Amino acid sequence: MIRISFLLLFLVSISLNAQNNAIGFGEKLTYTASYNMSGILTDLAEVTMETSAVKTSKTTLLRLKCKATTYSKWDNFFKIRDLYESYVNPKTLKPYLYNRDINEGGYYKNMKYTFSHKTKTVKTVQRKKSNWVQKKTVPIGADTKDIISTLYTIRTFDLTNLSSGTSKDFTILFDREEIKAKVTYLGKETISTALGTKTCYKISLGSTNSNTVNGTLWLTADENKIPVYGKFKIPVGTGELKIKSASGLKN
Amino acid sequence: MKKLFTILALIASIFAIIFSVLPLSNLAIIPAIGALAFGIIAFYLSKKEGNVKKIIQFTFILTFIALAITTYKSIFTKTEVTNTDAIEAIEDKLEAESMQELEDLDIEIDESELEDIPFDE
Repeated sequence: MIRISFLLLFLVSISLNAQNNAIGFGEKLTYTASYNMSGILTDLAEVTMETSAVKTSKTTLLRLKCKATTYSKWDNFFKIRDLYESYVNPKTLKPYLYNRDINEGGYYKNMKYTFSHKTKTVKTVQRKKSNWVQKKTVPIGADTKDIISTLYTIRTFDLTNLSSGTSKDFTILFDREEIKAKVTYLGKETISTALGTKTCYKISLGSTNSNTVNGTLWLTADENKIPVYGKFKIPVGTGELKIKSASGLKN
Repeated sequence: MKKLFTILALIASIFAIIFSVLPLSNLAIIPAIGALAFGIIAFYLSKKEGNVKKIIQFTFILTFIALAITTYKSIFTKTEVTNTDAIEAIEDKLEAESMQELEDLDIEIDESELEDIPFDE
């Protein structure tokens, strides 16, 4: 019983603390994505995560943009030019509009979500090569977000007083389907990065259903909570994401 | 036994060459080490019999070429992003489209909430 009440207290405190004090306008994080096999690293792509202010006639929104581009040596073999962006409320990171434009080795897909939080629906438009268009409206839950705003939302949680093993569930809308994901806090760890030696919060990302861990992220244990290092499971070897540079941080 | 190690050395050295010319050139080190190990074993076994076949020396040459290519590439190839015109054009296009879309949306944000967020413009 005490455990349950603590859990409830934690969930309440998490929802109270889910205000954005970590992400500001004009932040730019650059990463190197590499493939690690038996300790031998091969650089694959550059990943950038940017935020900027978008002013409409009514309000100001936060634009979250993630871009993945393969390094020139890969372009002739498997060229990737992926762009994900989400226009969100700067304070709560609630998404209003989401764009995904992917070009992976000749495969092209564009997906647009327009969120309507009042009616709890998302209007989706999917485009593929040769002007193939499909429109669909899908119902969503109250806390469903797109993948980009979910990634940024993780940074807004107050992790200072958490005990390791505490987890939080998310619902992500991806490919017009709601996916349940789980983020688990694993404790603090000090790692060396391109930005210097940093004390980090270590968190794992996984699916709620299968209890498998798909990736581990290290967020700096300061106000900004920027992801400095990530490890992801792939069929052979591991994928790694290492920070190269960070600018325009809020704190 | 000698034959087995010769074949293994040959296969490993071919893999080393293939990996070294691909962008995955760093991974060529794994089959190259294998090729060298199998090659040396095959070489000694053959030497014992007093009949060293040319194919073993050929695997050594292949392995050294693979290692040379890998080393050259790891030193002289720059990891840089080029050819970003297309994605930049898409970024601009999406931004213009999104602005239009956002203007039409009914977004309710309390402006006073945003006051403490510094603008970087």
